[in-house]
Order: sequence, then structure tokens, then C-alpha cells
Amino acid sequence: MTKKELFEIALHWFDQQGWKAFPFQKQTWEAFMKGKNGLLNAPTGSGKTYALWVPVVLNYIKNNPDYKTKHKKGLKAIWITPLRALSQEIKQAAERFADDLGTQMTVGIRTGDTDQKERAKQKRNMPDLLITTPESLQLLLASKGYDKTFKNCEAIIIDEWHELLGTKRGVQIELALSRLKSINSSIRIWGISATIGNLEQAQQVLLGPESKSFVNSTLIKANLNKKIKVESIIPKEMETFPWRGHLGIHLLDEVIPIIKKSKTTLLFTNTRSQCEIWFQKILAQYPEFAGEIAMHHGSINKETRLWVEQAIRNESLTAVVCTSSLDLGVDFAPVETIIQIGGPKGVARFLQRAGRSGHQPGKTSVIYFLPTHAIELVEASALQEAVKENTVEDRIPYLNSFDVLIQYLTTLAVSDGFHPEEIFPEIKSTFCYQALTDDQWNWILGFITVGSQSLQNYDEYKKVEILDDGLFKINNRGTAMRHRLQIGTIVSDAVLTVKYLKGGYIGSIEEWFISKLKPGDVFTFAGRNLELVRIKEMKVLVRKSTKKTSKVPSWMGGRLTLTSQMSALLRQELYKASANQASSNELKALSHIFKEQQKESIIPAEEQFLIETFKTREGYHAIFYPFEGRFVHEALGSLIAYRISLLSPISFSIAFNDYGFELLSDQEIDMQAVLDNNLFTMQDLHQDLQKSLNATEMARRKFRDIAVISGMVFTGYPNKLLKSKHLQSSSQLLFNVFRDFEADNLLYQQAFIETFEHQLEEGRLAEALLRIEGQTIIWKSCSKPTPFSFPIITDRLREKLSSEKLEDRIKKMITLLTKK
Amino acid sequence: MTQTICIKDQTFLLHPFGVMYWKEKAMLLIADVHLGKISHFRKHGSAIPAAAIFKNFEQLDEVIAFFQPQKVCFLGDLFHSYKNTEWQFFEAWIAKQESDILLLIGNHDIIDERKYQDLGIKTGTELTIDSILLTHHPEERAGFFNFCGHIHPGVQLQGLGKQRLKLPCFFQKPNQLILPAFGVFTGIYVLEPEEEDKVYAITSKEVIIVS
Repeated sequence: MTKKELFEIALHWFDQQGWKAFPFQKQTWEAFMKGKNGLLNAPTGSGKTYALWVPVVLNYIKNNPDYKTKHKKGLKAIWITPLRALSQEIKQAAERFADDLGTQMTVGIRTGDTDQKERAKQKRNMPDLLITTPESLQLLLASKGYDKTFKNCEAIIIDEWHELLGTKRGVQIELALSRLKSINSSIRIWGISATIGNLEQAQQVLLGPESKSFVNSTLIKANLNKKIKVESIIPKEMETFPWRGHLGIHLLDEVIPIIKKSKTTLLFTNTRSQCEIWFQKILAQYPEFAGEIAMHHGSINKETRLWVEQAIRNESLTAVVCTSSLDLGVDFAPVETIIQIGGPKGVARFLQRAGRSGHQPGKTSVIYFLPTHAIELVEASALQEAVKENTVEDRIPYLNSFDVLIQYLTTLAVSDGFHPEEIFPEIKSTFCYQALTDDQWNWILGFITVGSQSLQNYDEYKKVEILDDGLFKINNRGTAMRHRLQIGTIVSDAVLTVKYLKGGYIGSIEEWFISKLKPGDVFTFAGRNLELVRIKEMKVLVRKSTKKTSKVPSWMGGRLTLTSQMSALLRQELYKASANQASSNELKALSHIFKEQQKESIIPAEEQFLIETFKTREGYHAIFYPFEGRFVHEALGSLIAYRISLLSPISFSIAFNDYGFELLSDQEIDMQAVLDNNLFTMQDLHQDLQKSLNATEMARRKFRDIAVISGMVFTGYPNKLLKSKHLQSSSQLLFNVFRDFEADNLLYQQAFIETFEHQLEEGRLAEALLRIEGQTIIWKSCSKPTPFSFPIITDRLREKLSSEKLEDRIKKMITLLTKK
Repeated sequence: MTQTICIKDQTFLLHPFGVMYWKEKAMLLIADVHLGKISHFRKHGSAIPAAAIFKNFEQLDEVIAFFQPQKVCFLGDLFHSYKNTEWQFFEAWIAKQESDILLLIGNHDIIDERKYQDLGIKTGTELTIDSILLTHHPEERAGFFNFCGHIHPGVQLQGLGKQRLKLPCFFQKPNQLILPAFGVFTGIYVLEPEEEDKVYAITSKEVIIVS
């Protein structure tokens, strides 16, 4: 069949559905049929699934002209999705096209939710299209004879690549692709990405810089112009609107008319706990919504999530309170209205959420922004600007993630084993490991075979063995099993399943929350009040309760930072306010707060850098306002605290939000000395940062993920009964042991490098310091907290830094205790 | 450096490493050493730095040289799991000791007691001397004061300016004193003291009464 005839088949089918193929879809078909790789830049709900599934099918038809009568079995294409919740949707879309054309092609799903029986069946007989997650793809590489599975696979499509890029799951994909390319050199690799700042780089990371695949690739942009309207929900009485908070519940009454006005509304919250609380409160105050509203977040069980997604499509729900779990994929045509509760922290995320409504081409997407506290209205104003100018952020890819590499090599050792000289060039061809040195490579090989430094004679370290023919292989079944169970856990905290006593899975919950509860305590989860009965193995057993409770699990992952683009826009808005040029409704609504701020302090203008000091019952506060986003403030806060602590022994508790940071101490900070000593200098920046990192907990927290991914800490796995006798330890303990005994360990070092590159964003910090150097420092000594300081000083998540002797600190605390 | 306390008319010295010396009986009490834990992890593919293994023995040598006890009593969890290479280091260490060694079996001590006895170590589940009861698990028994381990007690302190510290400690109740875990690679479990409890935090340099 000619290309024209093939396209005709597809276009005819589009006609039958009453659709018209977009130019970007046809461009993608063309490129795919020519054997090219590529990156497709298209938003959710634009028909991107058919941009890539259609040519896979057409290619099959081309190679098998008798496709209607004879089915050639075997895996033809893999579709990777970052969220397993999306797989159902993709399967339905794919089956619709394949079935209508009478191809007999089959579509299968393989994720953490897929049961053992189904997996075994797939193993014997792969579907034509396999929809799976990055973790499950790794697991396939961990099974014997995996090369046969992939040998005839013609394409692999990485959906939502922008979500994976900049995460370690993205690195997993890079590694898996490097292997697949060797198994089958003609495999086509395609990524699908929403708009991000660094699309070209995204394409490079996907295909490998300077690789043959990259040379033979193309970037296709959908360029669908979508109109987006942002509307802030401004409280009628600004005077009583709180200065701090993160829930936004006080605006509940304003939200109801919006929900009632539209067919289906999605309410996006930033954390799962916020999601739970909003759901509860709506029902408590407007019981008439019972049965019409639902909740959707990542910890709720699969059946409920699928049910909610289906209900949205059927238009049987009025509103759904959700988290980023509904950010991606799933095309929900009936959704008319989006409400964003609290700052979305990034423009790309906000635009993507806005795009969830009004899917029909040409239709305007409306998104409401609901501020959770007064100052957040400034963010709303900045978002308006961002949408106007279409500014989006970069996603920064990881470099040299030794933990993921160790996990990957262990994976290969579990299945068929590997020869280092064969695998090393593949790994070097990826973006992540392009700069990997021979020394580092040898260290890694040593780590998995003899456990880095060893005791030679006595050591019993056991993981990867080197066989006589030089093959690196794991033969121990226990080690292999533990590794397979660990692959899925690229998340940091141990997760427990929540179940009813009599059976029935409700969802999963982080261990640290449960550890604070005692049997008999009642907590809210998945919209229900549950009483904790007991914890057994990795299961939390509960029963329903009618008792009221205020305990709602919060999930640590919820803290986001303002991107540099958003920060810049935010500063612009404040400068307007400072110059009394507040023009937007949001800024106007804030006028009385600005007035309050100006009583004892100022709203900084472009050339000013504001510092406020005041004393409360808690101690001496010093607040600095760079307006650079949480991450930069975390770095800057530690840096300045460290530099001050060199002047004289002092202990700090450091808090930070997107506007500034606070140094809190039990002694007065000599601000004049801070200014006189020019502590904001760029000089020795890297060195001082490094030292402040040693003094705080940041690298320690990064190390948690690294220890889990590299297999040093075994977390177990939800739903699995597991004998991990005497193998429990915390990554905290491990961190201390490395610090004291093996500080040159690459994984230990990685915790610091990651903190620099991904957490502190050293580059952004330098830019911020440069900006501050050009500003005049305005130091205001105030009698009480100002409106700007309020959200910061009430934040409970804090970093610590001290240059006092431990014994002295203890003695001070005791004196305080005895005074009481 | 040490703190001296009196219980049932007997004198006990608390050491910053978390051990306790019973002066009248010249007996050193040590809880939760967890020898072999690092090797156990290494054997299961978790590459904990092997150098840390020797730290336990170095610290044991240091406290024994300091107190020169006639008897050393381990209050359980001496060995973390099954026998592994660290047992050989332990054997070598035992051979050098001049004091009598006792082990009260803890929940982690799954190695056959006879292996200890072969090295000249006396074993048992508890030991009573006068009105003092030594065990691994905390116990309440009328008329006795109980010294024990198992819990790995820690204490959390708070200061002005939202300062917080978590430290291992000796935790003393009216009829019981729980020793901190001695081992290098062990965690702590924070206890909240009641009115009548006494807590001695340790910092590796000092023992400080905190409540």
C-alpha cells in the first residue's frame, strides 16, 4: 500500500468520527512513516494520542497487507505514561482506532495495578501495544530474556515527557532507551510534551545528545492557539481576609455559585490534605451536593479514581476536588470550569490546568484563581501577566544520577546479566551520563560487586557477582526479589496501605503520618472518618468512625517553589504597588494591607532590598525579602545564617516561603554587623554554601531518595507481605555513617550535588545575589510582625543551623525549662 | 565527664558513651550494641561503610579501659542478627578481655546461647543482685529496681527561637532506668518524660541532666 492509500484509511476514519485531522497530526504521521524519531509538542486534549497511535497502526498495515485476516503476534509498540491513572484512557482510544479498522491488534496495560495472572499472560504473549509506566518498563528489563520481548518492537512513545524530564523517572527512561536502541536499532523513539521553556533540550535528553537517533529526529509543534481567561476570586471583605494560611476555606461561599453555574468544575488543590479538607467542608456546609461531588488524588484507590474519571466523562458529577493527579492526560470534554485553590507556583502548570476546560477548539478556557491568603493575590496578579505573555519554565534534567545508574545495572544483573564493556558506551550515550568518567564507572562497578570499600578477607558483601566469563550477574534469589520490589519505589517515604479490618482497600498513606497516631485515634482519609485499629506489616487497619476529627494526613511532597519566571513577575507586581501604580483588581483589593505594611515598614521598590527585625515571645526575628521563590530562599537563608554564625556563636531556626526568609534566634542578631561585613557578597559563594549545607539538613533529606533508589535502604512495598527481618534502618542513620566513615562515597556526594543543582539552584542564587548587590538595603526595626512577614514566621517547616557548642545549647534549653 | 547517681543505696556512674558503671559491684552495664548489623546489611546488598564496624569495638575498649570493671554485663541485643564475619572480630575481642562477661538475651540475640558459652560468656534472660533486676526488656517487679535496654531512648529538647534537639539519653523512672543504645549504627526512640522521671542526655562528651 502506498503512503497515500494508508493516510486515506486514517483520514476516512477521522471523517467517520466527525473529526478533522490537525496539521500537526498529519506531520507526525509523515515523520513516523519515514522512520524518524521526534518530539511532539502538543497539549492535553489536543488529539496527541492519535498523532502517534495512528502511524503505528498504519505501519503495521503496510507491513502486513493481509492484516484483516491474519494477525501477526508480538509487541509492536510501547506507550509510556507517567501516571497509571491515564492508561485506561489511552487504551480505549487506541482500541477504538485499531478495532474500527478491523486490524485485530491488541492493547494491554502493565502497571503496578496489573495482577500477577495478567502479567504472566503478557509474558507468554505480549499485546501489540503495551501501555506501561517507567517503573514497569524497568521491571520488564529485570525479567529473563527481555531482549526477545523487545526485538521486534517498532516504536516507543513517551507520553507527558515534560513531566518525566527533570525527575529521576526521566533518567530511568533515558537508560531503558539506551538499552532498547541496542536491542533493536530501527526502533522509533517519540516523546510527547506540553510546552516548556527548553523543548529542544527535552528532545536531546530523550534521544541522547549527538546520537544517531537524535540526528534522525524532528520537533513538531501543534501550535494550537488557546484562549485562556484568568479570574481571581477576590474576597468581598478584604479587611477580614487572613494574612496567612494555605487552605482558602473562608472563600468557600464564593466558590459555590461558580460550581452551580457550570456543568462540571474541577477544583485543583496543591496538596492531598488540602483536597481532603475542601471535599469535607463543601459537603458539611452544602449537603445538597452529596452524590454530586467527588475527590481525586494519588493516594485514593484505583477503582475510586477510575470511577471518578468515568463519572466526569458521563457528566454525572458537578464538581471534583483534585490534586495534580488530574493534571495530565485524560480528556474530559464536559469540564467547563477550573478553579485553582492557592498559588500554582508555576506558569506551565497553571496553563496546563486552565487547558483542562473548554476542550473544543476555539473555545476560551476559564480558570478561577482562589487565593488562600492576602499576599497570594499578588501572585494572582502576576499570573495574569504570565498568561498574557505566555512565559513558561524550563525543566532541568538530572546529570550523573549515580543512584539511578546503580539501580539500572542491578536490574540488568537480575535478568540476563551484563558485560560492562558492552553497557558502558550505551550509558555514555545518554544525556544524564554523557560526562561519566572511567573512574566513576569503575567505582560504580565496585560498589555493586564488593560494596565500595571492603574488608577484603572477611567481607561478605553480596549483590552482583562477576562470573567466569566476565558477566555481571545476580544469582541470589533473595537479592533479586528485593531489587524487583524496590524498583517501583522511586518515592521517598515508606508507604502503607490503608484497609478496613474486614478487608477492602482504601488507599495508601505515608508512614510518618501514621506513626504519629495511636490505636483509637480518628483521622480523615479518602473523604471518610476512620479509626486506627492497628498497624500490621505494611498495612494500616481501620474501621469507620462517626467521631469528628481534625487529623488529616498531609503529604510532604506538596511543597512547590515559584519558578524564576514567576518570581520575576511577582516582583514586577510589587514594584507597581510600591510606586502606587497598582492597576489590577487583585492589587487594588490589597490596598489596606499595603497600608498596614507601610506603617512600620515599606513595600520595596526595584532598587531596594528590605530587611525587617522585631521581637516576639518566640525570640528575635529577622526577615529578608528577595522575592526569589522558596528554593533560592532556602539557599540564601542557610548562606546568610552560616555567615552570621561565623561572627559569634549563635543558633538559628530558618523559615522560608516564596517571598523571603526568616532567621529566628534566641539572641538578638547584630544587623549592623551583617551590613558592615557585607554578608551578601558573591565572594566565596560556592565554598560558603557548601559549608552551610554541611550545617543544615538539606543534603540529608536528598540522601533519603538516593539511599532508597540505590538499594541501600529497603523500604518494602505496599500490598506485599515481606520478610525483611533485621533489615530496617533509616536513611538518616546511613547518612551519619557515610559522613563519619566514607565521605568520598559517590552516593553521599551526590546528595550534595543534587542539593546544589536541583534544590538550591546555585545559578539562580548567584543571579539573585548579583541583583541584591545593586540594591540599597533598607533595614526596618519594627515593633511587631508586618503583613509581609506573617506567612513566613508562622511556617512550621524549618531548617536549623548553629555554631554554638551542643553542650551549651542543651544547658540553655534546660535553664529555660526550669524557669517555667 | 560522668554523672554519679544513687539508687537503692548503690552508686552508679553514667558515661557519655551510654554505658553505666556499678561501683560497688565493679560491673559495667552496656545495652543494645547490635554487633554485626553493618555486616548483615552488607551481606544483603546494602553497602554500609565497612570501616564503621570497628568503631563499636574501639568504643568498647575505651569504656572498659576507663572503668576497668570486674564484670561486663550486656543488657541484650549484643548481636543484631545471625552470625556473620563480625562474630570473628567479636571472638578476637572477647579473647582479650580480663573481666567476666555476661549476656542477658534480647530479642535480636538469635545466635545459639551455646556459641556465647563456648567463648566463656555467661548467658541468661535476667539477673537479680540484691534488689536490682537486670533485663533486656523493661520490666516492673515489686521490690526491684530494673536496669534495661531495648528501647534506645532519646529525648527532645526545645528552646527559644523554635530550637529543637534530639539526643540519646538514660531514661530513669521511679523503679527503672533504661540505658541508651551503645551501637554506632542504631537509631533512637523519643520518650516523653513524666513529672517523676529523670532524663540524662548524652553528647559523647558529657552526660547532662535535662529533666
